[in-house]
Amino acid sequence: MGGPDKAEKVRASSSREAPDLVAFESVETQVVSPAVMGNFRSRRNVRVRRRLRMAGGVVIAIGLWELVSVTQLVSSTALSSVSATAAAIGSNAGVLFSAVGQTLEAWAVGLAIATVAGVIMGALVGRSRIADALTETLVRMMRPLPSLALIPIAILVAGLGLKMTAGLVAFTSFWPIFINTRYGVAQVERLLLETATTLGLRGLALIRSVVLPAAAPLIASGFQVAVGLALVVTVSVELVGGTGGIGSYVLAAQQGNAVANMYAGIVVGGFLGWVLNTGFAGLFRRLLPWANQREGSE
Amino acid sequence: MIRAPRRAARLRRAGLWGLGWVGLGVAMLVWQVVAVVKHSALFPTFTATVSTLWQMLTSSFVTSDLIPSVIRLLIGFAISALIGIVVGLLTGYYRAVREWTTAFFDFSRSLPTPLLIPVALVLFGLGGTMVVVIIATAAVWPVLINTANATAALEPTLVDTARCLGLRGPALLTKVILPAVSPQIFAGLRVGISVSLAVLVVAEILGGSSGIGFFISSAQQSFQITASYAGVLVLCLIGWVADSLFLLVERRLLRWQRGIVGGVHD
Repeated sequence: MGGPDKAEKVRASSSREAPDLVAFESVETQVVSPAVMGNFRSRRNVRVRRRLRMAGGVVIAIGLWELVSVTQLVSSTALSSVSATAAAIGSNAGVLFSAVGQTLEAWAVGLAIATVAGVIMGALVGRSRIADALTETLVRMMRPLPSLALIPIAILVAGLGLKMTAGLVAFTSFWPIFINTRYGVAQVERLLLETATTLGLRGLALIRSVVLPAAAPLIASGFQVAVGLALVVTVSVELVGGTGGIGSYVLAAQQGNAVANMYAGIVVGGFLGWVLNTGFAGLFRRLLPWANQREGSE
Repeated sequence: MIRAPRRAARLRRAGLWGLGWVGLGVAMLVWQVVAVVKHSALFPTFTATVSTLWQMLTSSFVTSDLIPSVIRLLIGFAISALIGIVVGLLTGYYRAVREWTTAFFDFSRSLPTPLLIPVALVLFGLGGTMVVVIIATAAVWPVLINTANATAALEPTLVDTARCLGLRGPALLTKVILPAVSPQIFAGLRVGISVSLAVLVVAEILGGSSGIGFFISSAQQSFQITASYAGVLVLCLIGWVADSLFLLVERRLLRWQRGIVGGVHD
C-alpha cells in the first residue's frame, strides 16, 4: 500500500517548482581519493598546491589582459592596460569608495526586506499544500519575469532614489528566497515532523526549532542566489537611472571616454561581488555545518 | 491495486494544477481592483494592459521588437550553453584545470554583468551584437558552474568502472559522464534562460535601437505607460513559455533517470 503512494509523492514533488541550485562549493570539500593519498602527499601539500594554482590562474588572466592591451589586439579606446587601470583605481579611490557605499546601501536595504518577507511567506506557503498549489503557477510566471524590465516603470512610479532601487532589489531578491524556503519547508521529512510533534512541539516552536533548521540549507542557497541577483539589479538601476553608485560611475566613465576609469569601476564592482559571494558562502559553511553533510551523504 | 491509486494521483495532480491557475486568476483580479481603486495614470488596469498588448501583437511591434529580441535571446543563450557545458565538463573532469581556473572563474561570475554593458557598447556599438555578447557572458556562468560541480562530484567508481570496461574518450563522455551530469546541466540551463532574459532587457534599454527592452523604455519616455506595462507582460510570457518548453524537454530527455533518482532519494 505504501509503495504507489510514495511513488506518487515523489512525482508530485518533482513536478513542483525546483529551487535555484547553488552548490556550496562542493568542489572544495571533495575528498581526496586514496590513489592521490598513496603518493605520499599530505593533504596539506594538496591544499597548498591548489592555492598556488588558483593564484597562478589569476596571474595568467591578468597577464593575458596586459598582453591583449599591449599588442593592441583590442584598441586602447576599448581596453586599458592593467597598470593604467590600477593607477585609475588608486587615483579615484575616494570616489570609488563612496560609489561602492551607495551601491551597498541600496543592496543591503533591498535584500533585508526580501529576506524577511521571503522566509516568512515561504514558510507559511510551504507548510500548506493548498497554498502551495495556489501560488505554483503565479510563481512560475513571476520567477522568469526579468524584473530589470520594471526599471523604467519603477523610475516613473517611485522616482529616482534609494526607495526605488531598494524596492526593485527587494522585489527581485524575494523570489529565490521565497521559492527556496517554500520548497525547503515542504521537503522536511515527515518522520522528523511527526517525532517533533510527538515530543510536544507545536506551532511556532515547531517551525523555529525543527522546520527552519531542516530547511536552512535550501534557504541559505536561495539567499546566496539573491545576494548576486540583488547586486545585478542595483547596478542595473544605477546604469539606467544614473542614480550614483558603481554602475553610474562606470557609465559616466564610458561616456567621458575615460577608459581606465571605466575598467577601474568594473574591477571594483567585480571585487565587490566576489567579496559578497565568497563571504556569504563561507559564513553559511560555518553557520550550517549540516548543509554539506546532507549533500555528502547522498 | 496499482491502477486505482495511480488514477487518483493523476486526478489530484490535475486538481493542484487547476488551483495554480486559480491563484493566477486571483492575482490578476487583485491587480484590476487595485488599479481601478487607485485610478492612477501610472498604474493601468489589467484589462487595459491586455488590450494594449493585443493591439501591439497586430502592429509593427512584432517584427521590429519582439522577433529581434527573441533571436538575440536564442543566439546568446545557445552560445552560453555550448561554452558553459564544454568548459564546465573540462574544469569538472580535470582537477588541474579546475584548480587553475577556480579563482578566476569565481571572480568573473561574481562580477555583475550589466557593468560590462558600457564596454560592450564601446566594442560593438549600439545594436544586436552587443546584446548577444552580453547575454552570452551573463548566462554562461550558471551553466558552467553547475556542469563543473556535477562533473567534479561524479562517483569515481562510475568513471573507473566505465574505464575498466574499455570506454575511453568520446564514448566515455557521451555514454557515462554526460548522462550522469545532465540533470545538473539542465538546472543550470534553466537558470541561464532567466538570466538571459534579464540582461537582454538592460542591454536593450542601454544600447539597443530595437527590441522589447528598447520598446519598454521608449514607451516610458513618451509616457505611454500602458504600453510599457504591456511590454513587461510580453517578457513575462516569453519567460514562461521558455521555462515551460524547457521543463517539457527536460522531462522527456531525462525520463530515464526520474525513477532512479526518485528511488534513491526517497
